[in-house]
Amino acid sequence: MADIQYSWPDRDSSKVIGGRQIRLDGMAKSTGAAKYAYDINLKNMLVARALGSPHAHCTIKSIDSAQAEKVPGVVHVHVLDHAKPGREIRWQGELLVIVAAETEAAAMEGVSKLRVEYEPLEVFVDEFNLEAAKKAGRTSKDGGKVQLEKEPGDDEDEATFADKELERLFKQSAHVVEGFYGIDAITHCCLEPHGATVYWDNDQLIAYLSTQNVSGTDEGFANDLKIPADKIEVRCQYVGGGFGSKFAPDYWGTAAARIAKATGRPVKLMLSRDQEFKLGGNRPSAYLKVRLGADKDGVVTVWDSDHWSSPGADGPGVPQGVIPYVFAPKNYRRAVTKVTTNNGPARAWRAPNHPQGCAITQTAYDDMAARMGISSYDLFLKNLGTDDSPGVAGAKPSVYAAEMEIAARLIDWKAKWHPHGKGARRGDIVDGLGMSLHTWGGGGHESTCTVKIHPDGGVESFCGTQDIGSGTRTVCAMVLAETFGLGVDAIRINYGSSRFPVSGPSGGSTTVGGVSESHRRAGQEALAKICEMVAEKLGVPAAELIADDGRIKARGDAKKSVAWKEACAMLGMKPLEVTATFRPSRNKSPLSDTKVGGVQMAHVEVDTRTGLIRMRKFVAVQDMGLIINRRLAESQIYGAVIMGIAYSLFEQRISDPASGAFLNADMSKYNLCRLGDIGEIVVEMYEPESERSRGVIGLGEPPVIGPGAAISNAVCNALGFRVPVLPLTPQRVLEAIKNNAGRA
Amino acid sequence: MHAFDYQAPTTLREALELLSKPQQSARPLAGGTDLIDQMRVGRLTPEVVIDIKKIAELNALRVDSGGLHLGAAVPCYRICSERAIIDDYSALVDSCRIIGGVQIQSRASLGGNLCNSGPAGDSIPSLIALQATCLIAGPQGTREVPVESFCTGPGKNVLRTGELLIELRMPRRAPHSGSHYRRMIPRNEMDIAVVGVGASVQLDATGKTIVAARLALGAVAPTPLYAESASQLLAGQPVSDALIAKAAQAAREIVKPISDMRGTAEYRVHVTGVLVQRALQAAIVRARGEACDYRPGH
Repeated sequence: MADIQYSWPDRDSSKVIGGRQIRLDGMAKSTGAAKYAYDINLKNMLVARALGSPHAHCTIKSIDSAQAEKVPGVVHVHVLDHAKPGREIRWQGELLVIVAAETEAAAMEGVSKLRVEYEPLEVFVDEFNLEAAKKAGRTSKDGGKVQLEKEPGDDEDEATFADKELERLFKQSAHVVEGFYGIDAITHCCLEPHGATVYWDNDQLIAYLSTQNVSGTDEGFANDLKIPADKIEVRCQYVGGGFGSKFAPDYWGTAAARIAKATGRPVKLMLSRDQEFKLGGNRPSAYLKVRLGADKDGVVTVWDSDHWSSPGADGPGVPQGVIPYVFAPKNYRRAVTKVTTNNGPARAWRAPNHPQGCAITQTAYDDMAARMGISSYDLFLKNLGTDDSPGVAGAKPSVYAAEMEIAARLIDWKAKWHPHGKGARRGDIVDGLGMSLHTWGGGGHESTCTVKIHPDGGVESFCGTQDIGSGTRTVCAMVLAETFGLGVDAIRINYGSSRFPVSGPSGGSTTVGGVSESHRRAGQEALAKICEMVAEKLGVPAAELIADDGRIKARGDAKKSVAWKEACAMLGMKPLEVTATFRPSRNKSPLSDTKVGGVQMAHVEVDTRTGLIRMRKFVAVQDMGLIINRRLAESQIYGAVIMGIAYSLFEQRISDPASGAFLNADMSKYNLCRLGDIGEIVVEMYEPESERSRGVIGLGEPPVIGPGAAISNAVCNALGFRVPVLPLTPQRVLEAIKNNAGRA
Repeated sequence: MHAFDYQAPTTLREALELLSKPQQSARPLAGGTDLIDQMRVGRLTPEVVIDIKKIAELNALRVDSGGLHLGAAVPCYRICSERAIIDDYSALVDSCRIIGGVQIQSRASLGGNLCNSGPAGDSIPSLIALQATCLIAGPQGTREVPVESFCTGPGKNVLRTGELLIELRMPRRAPHSGSHYRRMIPRNEMDIAVVGVGASVQLDATGKTIVAARLALGAVAPTPLYAESASQLLAGQPVSDALIAKAAQAAREIVKPISDMRGTAEYRVHVTGVLVQRALQAAIVRARGEACDYRPGH
């Protein structure tokens, strides 16, 4: 058999790829037939609930579970290792003791009877206040970078040279802006909390885990439980949100396995809503002070910033690499300080660090436009550079420029934009437009897929992947349907088990790229084998056969064909099984690529007397290479934009400075978007042949990056001054109005 | 949630007997949109829940020469779809249309909203502005209490053990009257009010002078407030921006808001003034029979 040339059909001959197939499991999800980890109920199962630390910082003095054990229905009490007397607890909600019982009510009552003695310790949660953090000894240098076109002389000290050179560059600049910008910490807020339902089948552990990493979490269980990984099966058909926070079994997952082992019964342990907020992950805050200088045309030539960021008690903060975001001035100095607090540790959040980088730096670029009295559009355009001499990172300047033109048309920028603060008022209401640019990798992850073709024509695939909202099942089915010339309903997709061939975790927008690679490769290889059998029967070279419309046909001679089922019957008694693997490498794959760019624009109105912002329109133009499913791709962007509007206007983790308590750790107080908060969202895919021919690129993350800057810039355009820190709550807007009295 | 008994009496007498049973804690259930949530989080743990929706008197809704009679269990959606209420008691409809979403409005009642006695209850300022009184039945018979005197603190009210709110009564509306409720929430819908304002005005036949007015404020004190002096200074005065600003200032002076994560006291005082002005302007527009340009939310 000749080497397979992996490829996608061109736009005109695609029958399925690029279409608007609805999610194959949409009905199951909307009717409740789809079973999430939280929905798994097993015979004789115990329900577990956990006691979390009420203190944000303390040591455990003693734990008394005697009364809890006496509660009717309580079967097992498990004290976690990190909660043993003498241990330090560093954030509120950290689980201490787990109670497993016959019913959830009994487990909760058991938890209420636990008696724990704490020694409270000094708390620090005021991450916004850098001086207070320094005073409390909670700061540390967290990297930084200086890049200058001019190099120091041999006898010059680098730091002193940088000081002098930056000053010289600022003096040379035609325009200089100094500003402060920030974005508060938010949580992942997964609708399905973290957790698992587990049971032991003799020495085999079966874990129904809410995870975005089916193939990778068995190792996590194995390491913690000290058992071979081949004794573990992780199952997850559906995930109720992960956003980067569900890559591991977590200590509560392995605790559930321990309790199941100790009791000999299945155990369900899902975090409570309050615990989900406190432990399930959060996105680091970031606050930045900057001075930037531009030439007479508005091209930023020098950038000098100092920012601080808090990942809570553990984890990395926002790094210098996203400062400034997308734009790459030729001269810069960027310093970073990490602030450690008594909040739960950060976890990767959809496009880690990019939303913060974008929000705290493209606002500064917009302020430069305001200073110069020119349109943000013009300033952003001038700073793109050219494809030969780019002024931006990520996508090519020509891609951004083309997307800007589309976005401007869709939001009617020319007609609606006005100089900052100079728009017409309608009573107390002022309107504004703002924009932002973003970029992301999105290259497919490693993925292995086995395609099985049965002699009766049935087609199924096996892949240890998951659907974190990407529509994985539908994408895989569409790829195989296109490959075999069949309808998507003829394809059975099996995923969601660590027993299936290994596929990467759903992080970094890598899933659709990865699984479409492995499925297309396995599909093309299987088809080649089927064609070899058919070739003899039709008297046509296998290379001249194509799969189309339920048949294997000779290219250009429709009379020479056999039905798909007839072709498969030639397999005899045994099904055909083909396994293919995609491994990302430096060599460009013909099926997928990396690096996308996007442009977003926001139109807002601001009530200058109440401070309330209302979204009027949001335009998202996005490049993602070849689109497998247009509906799902759009759906990803709608979801990302809504998530972006939430963190721009409403979402924030609010901590009590005295106790460190997470004050709004429930859905009624932690403000996500309501439908009425969203306004009109317009999504436009940028898919010219130059981009489509690059192959598949993931887009789960990129569109969530830009809303913060676009919306903040729109509010600034409306008011004529900056509301410096996101979310732009009514109170913050009014404070800014007060601080800029007479300008609104 | 804890285990509890459920009773669904069909007569008022039966309900009152159940409520008066000694040695058991009982809670009436209308829509349950507050009660069930509070039971779920363990804030309330009644031994028996008494469903009052099957009692005819509590589901009555009629407008007659005496005014509006609203059974305590009447759900919001019925209020929103009643022509006479839309025309004459508009503030009530404004309230009912923003309490939760469609599902909540299909279940939640104004009686329940009042008995929950939250300072931010969205129907209460409207009821006060419309001069509503509560008809309460209990072991000792019935009594009437003005709505502005009903709530005594957050989650507390004048109901004694064994008593049940049966009906809310609002007097007949005078000609050239209009009313309005609006609130400030950080989002655009389905949120707890940071400030809520109910306003009712009666104009003279020319539409230029205020004959009488009632203003009420929510979420700015431990209980919803009747803004008496602000209301009185409007009476007999020609409508003007200056007069409305004066009423707003008077309203600001009586509020005692707390600072919490939804807004500082200073912010709430400021917004009280803004909303009083906007609520009054809308009520005046309605009293003149003109269309009110109002988008729920702020």
